[in-house]
Amino acid sequence: MIDGTRVIDYHGHVGRWERYGMVDDPELLLGAMDAVGIDIACLFHIFHPDGTTGNDLTARFVARNPDRFVGFAYVSPTMPERMVPELERAIDKLGFPAIKLYPPYTPWPFNEEPWHPIYEFAQDRGLAIIFHTDHFINSRPRYFEDLAPAYPRVNFVSAHCGNVPEARAEAIAAAQKYPNVYLETCSTYRTPGVIEELVEKGGADRVLYGSDMPLMDPRPQIGKIITARISDEAKRMALGENAARLLGI
Amino acid sequence: MSSLNFSPRVPVIDANVCVGNHHTGPSPCQSPAQLLEEMDFHGVRRAVIYHAQGEQISPTDGNMYLEDWLDEDGRLIPQWTVAPVDTSMTQIAELHGQGRVTSARLHDCQSAGLPFLPWGYDDLLSFLTEAGIPLWIPLMEVDVRDLVTTLKAYPDLHTVLVGAHYTHALVVRGLLEASPRAVLELSRYEPIGEVEALVDRFGADRFIYGSWYPRYAMGPILFYLHHTRMSEEELAQICAGNTERLLGLTEGT
Repeated sequence: MIDGTRVIDYHGHVGRWERYGMVDDPELLLGAMDAVGIDIACLFHIFHPDGTTGNDLTARFVARNPDRFVGFAYVSPTMPERMVPELERAIDKLGFPAIKLYPPYTPWPFNEEPWHPIYEFAQDRGLAIIFHTDHFINSRPRYFEDLAPAYPRVNFVSAHCGNVPEARAEAIAAAQKYPNVYLETCSTYRTPGVIEELVEKGGADRVLYGSDMPLMDPRPQIGKIITARISDEAKRMALGENAARLLGI
Repeated sequence: MSSLNFSPRVPVIDANVCVGNHHTGPSPCQSPAQLLEEMDFHGVRRAVIYHAQGEQISPTDGNMYLEDWLDEDGRLIPQWTVAPVDTSMTQIAELHGQGRVTSARLHDCQSAGLPFLPWGYDDLLSFLTEAGIPLWIPLMEVDVRDLVTTLKAYPDLHTVLVGAHYTHALVVRGLLEASPRAVLELSRYEPIGEVEALVDRFGADRFIYGSWYPRYAMGPILFYLHHTRMSEEELAQICAGNTERLLGLTEGT
């Protein structure tokens, strides 16, 4: 908790990527979370295209600290026959409340046909989907303008908010047009004024704090919110209230 | 525990601030007054500043433009960009002769084909070593293999390794091992738990706070450093004490 606000980190990973210092040691994650008052972290495993392998690892990780971690389902259109059955398993049996997608690990922009069975599934269930977004062709936030009106029961979350100014502008434009588009803040780019821009142009009710932990420490990432020139009310919404609404908790 | 608003508990010197317009676009601060206002907002007392034109265009012109950013009360501490070329060597020697050099910063010559190796840098690095001037080295502008070779060749040279990123996770320990006089600037170094692990391994005197504003926001890393299990003494060292020592500053100078 930070000043009475439950803090939810909407972007984290299970899995190891040691060459970049990423180790999913629960004690490391919890230590960093506790140091700044992060109550809950949403985690997903994106390194296995079958979905099942990573989702099981996520479920196992979450089960050790179920009051601190929430698992998201991951699937890939590179194994299309596995997508919907694995989503059914991850949502219904593992209890995951949302979906993570990673377009750079596929050949397709995320508005193209191979992805749509996932969106139809999420539309049926009214789920949120968090997408890696950036300025490369597969991951452009402008695709939300195709998807958001077509799947109005899905909440689309632009992870990293596109990372760079051109893509960030696309994410903000989509959020301005559609109420089911959200802007998530983690990025190795900590450009001055970005949080202020998201709040002012996208709306404080659309901004979600995320860290990308354990690839990155959640403390400087939450520091972006705390040290931004935005109101305390906007900070509370970004730090947890918006995520709680999306997660239904 | 944190709150919705943050102020540093210890005196802070930001050891890595770029001023002026980069050739690719304008800076959010167009005057010293604007930069000082940004520093005040984040609780930063002083900042080590270099000019953006010194990064990749001209170290000598960048240093000339830097003069316009020096405030009267000394909160903005000049850092002079250097390269192993005659114009730059002459300029830094003159500035040193005037007693105005407390640190220098490496101009990007690697992208022009000059590796950071002793055969290309001996005159410059020998001068800095002899003069006791610490050199800030942006890590993305040197090959780490060359860097290790050169740090070992100049064991008495004080260096600050700037801008380590999580993509440097495999090399940071090796670099700090290779040169006992190398200090790591922390503006971009975010692998989870690594600041505490590095301080445990090497000691707090090997790390300094820098934001690399305006490439990065000034507050987040400072907030991070205030929320670790480091002692208050270690925090004070990293936030200002080590930079004061490197620059030969005492409080109020």
